[in-house]
Amino acid sequence: MIETTELLPGVTLRCYTDSRFKQGCLSFQLVRPMRAEEAALNALLPAVLLRGCRQHPDMRAITARLDELYGASVGALVRRVGDYQTTGVHCGFMEDRFALEGDAIFAPMMDLLRQLLTEPILEGEGFNREFVESEKKNLIATIEAERNDKRAYAAAQLMKLMCKSDSFGIPRLGEKEQVAAITPEGLYTHYQKILHSSVVELFYVGSFHAAQVSERIRPLLAGLQRNPEKLPAQTPFHACPANENEEEMDIAQAKLCMGFVTPVNNQSPDFAAMQVLNMIFGGGMTSKLFMNVREKLSLCYSIGSGYHGSKGILTVSAGIDTEQYDKVRQEIFAQLDACCQGDITADELLSAKEGILSSLRGVTDSPGAIENYCITSTLSGLPLSIPEYMTAVAAVTAEQVAAVAKTLQLHTTFFLKGVGK
Amino acid sequence: MNKTVYPKLDETIYRSQLPCGLTVAVVPKPGFTRKLAYFVTDFGSIHTDFLLDGQEYHVPAGVAHYLEHKLFELPGRDVSAEFAALGANVNAFTGYDMTAYYFSCTENFDKSLELLLEFVSTPYFPEESVVREQGIIDQEIGMFLDSPEARVFDRLMEAMYRRHPIRVPILGSSESIREITPEILTLCHRGFYAPGNMILCVVGDVDSEFVVQTAVKILGTDPRPVAEKLRNWQEEMNCPEPITHQQMEVAMPTFQLGFKCEAIPSGEAAIRAEVVGDLAAEALFGESSALYLQMYETGLIDASFGGGLETVDGCAMITCGGDSPEPDKVRDAILAGVKTLLETGVDQESFLRMKRSALGRRIRDLDSFDSTCFRVCAYHFAHFDYFCFPTVYAEVTWEEVHEFLTQVVTEERCALSVITPM
Repeated sequence: MIETTELLPGVTLRCYTDSRFKQGCLSFQLVRPMRAEEAALNALLPAVLLRGCRQHPDMRAITARLDELYGASVGALVRRVGDYQTTGVHCGFMEDRFALEGDAIFAPMMDLLRQLLTEPILEGEGFNREFVESEKKNLIATIEAERNDKRAYAAAQLMKLMCKSDSFGIPRLGEKEQVAAITPEGLYTHYQKILHSSVVELFYVGSFHAAQVSERIRPLLAGLQRNPEKLPAQTPFHACPANENEEEMDIAQAKLCMGFVTPVNNQSPDFAAMQVLNMIFGGGMTSKLFMNVREKLSLCYSIGSGYHGSKGILTVSAGIDTEQYDKVRQEIFAQLDACCQGDITADELLSAKEGILSSLRGVTDSPGAIENYCITSTLSGLPLSIPEYMTAVAAVTAEQVAAVAKTLQLHTTFFLKGVGK
Repeated sequence: MNKTVYPKLDETIYRSQLPCGLTVAVVPKPGFTRKLAYFVTDFGSIHTDFLLDGQEYHVPAGVAHYLEHKLFELPGRDVSAEFAALGANVNAFTGYDMTAYYFSCTENFDKSLELLLEFVSTPYFPEESVVREQGIIDQEIGMFLDSPEARVFDRLMEAMYRRHPIRVPILGSSESIREITPEILTLCHRGFYAPGNMILCVVGDVDSEFVVQTAVKILGTDPRPVAEKLRNWQEEMNCPEPITHQQMEVAMPTFQLGFKCEAIPSGEAAIRAEVVGDLAAEALFGESSALYLQMYETGLIDASFGGGLETVDGCAMITCGGDSPEPDKVRDAILAGVKTLLETGVDQESFLRMKRSALGRRIRDLDSFDSTCFRVCAYHFAHFDYFCFPTVYAEVTWEEVHEFLTQVVTEERCALSVITPM
């Protein structure tokens, strides 16, 4: 289904040709190893590129052009995939066949992308100073605004604490001090370096065929002198000593976050069993955590678990009353213990598997989901195709679930404690 | 069923009204795996006053949401678990003027559809389970009280409206939910979950006749009386509180700015008024406006800024918001910006470009099953066929947008809600 073309050394175009959709999408990503010293640069870069180019010198001009292209969109795309950080842009556009007679959208959209990526507005040896300074402010505000969403904030604090020795501990957007230190010259130099030396991934979903897409993309790559560096392989979790921490905030609902580690990751034969365990334990409205801690005991509104397969980390997060800390924690362990004991009903096993299978089947129904699934599984080194993954999930037994549950070890706890109200 | 084809959109819809009063709409999506079904009642948090069987009722705030939570129970059965066993994802939400129950699945559509119709149409509210739900909803209310995004909007509604119940949060309060009893839930279910007050909409590769047959099988053929909503909501167009502040754990001030509009009528006038309102917001402070660029470049707003027209049964407003170091200056800039825009106007070409962009985004949005399902239902309650939107865009003129902005974006109709750091 996916046609892969190497356009230049280290520059790969993956095309998923499908004419069921009304819109197509294309992502352009430079793939970097996640490093503390460049995370902020990579996070800032697309925001600056999207401020203006020679022919469309400000955001208003860019938006006017996108409006002409029937409300096409282009946005910054900064991802964490295992030990990698990607930086680039994501374009969405209506399919040509819905435009008024004679109007094309995809070809001019690719030309706009070329201009944004290769004809930035420069000042001396760097990017336009005003663009850089105002986007630095915005990025710092975004990083600070993490505090506004208490659940995301607590989850991020847990990761920082738990992954001090791992790339997962580096915030996806970098630290604000590093953002503040960026200069227009430094950012431009970095861009030139990574544009020529990074692995580049282009992913297209839409009605055009690979040859047509390649033809539209080539002008974008024309000026590149490629000297690609190989990406280091993905690595499993690098553990630091175990940790426990809490912080007080003036909030009505406290957040409890627990991080468990397991040797089972997305390269392991037990990967599918661990996904099933995660669903049974805390993966939705029928999970043990939800059914017991919320429904039976009314101890919280939100509770759930998440499994980071590239590292072998399983996190539990719950929104609770501060006084209920011990009770909730105890109950979380009790539910995990039930999983370890193999106390898993046939219905629980069936529902968990069906839940995973159903979302895998649904991946191909949306351009965004296709792009996201394919690119993250490719980069994270998941060795399974969707059908293989589904077969593996369908074959999981309760015994295998109990066996992987036993590998989970609590590593770090973070508690965002409510005071005041 | 009545079949309508929309060649410009490459969409088809099948519609039918059943003997029991239920409207069924099916949007076939051949070649897609996922199937989505929405079962929606024209009843939301603002409908707390109504007439049923000749008697007047006033129920506590938060009842629509409470009812949504409690419907997930059937005698001796766990609805969520049954959906999960079918591999379907089930969920629900309560809005100001509608409550929706929905599932999506890739297999077992038939059984999932039966289950959806069954659980939503079956009132079962045992006393102890209704009481236990208070703890869960109380936690949910607490979560919203900690969310700057939710708080800033709820406070804006309080600042803008004197009478309209949009001034009360959808969830109600810790106090109001304590007054909710099984009897009240049963009453609201009887009044508003009658098939005549509901729509079933399915998007996906399904057989439309099968959907109708299933609905008849589960819901029967007898219509039931629907409660009559009491809408004693007449509002003056000025705002009781021009500005409201609250301190919270946030990094930077965050705000919502609102301008009161006349309630949107129903039928074709409804979508026309909505399109005009949307284009007005776009022309004034959308990303291609002079004002947006000026505010962004001076650091008054950032990428979090956005807004548009909000419509709810009995009220409408233009809102915009985001993070800003000085929200009151954003308000002043918008009030000054509208004057400039109305004086200079918008040339024909720019207006066409704005319309083309809005139209394109709506067409792109049809790829989303969820958005399509939601809009078909919402516009059904407003008595309009959503897929006719391209015609509306073709017809709307700048003069209409001009008139709307002149009337609505004024100091008198404006209120500002700000959350500031502690």
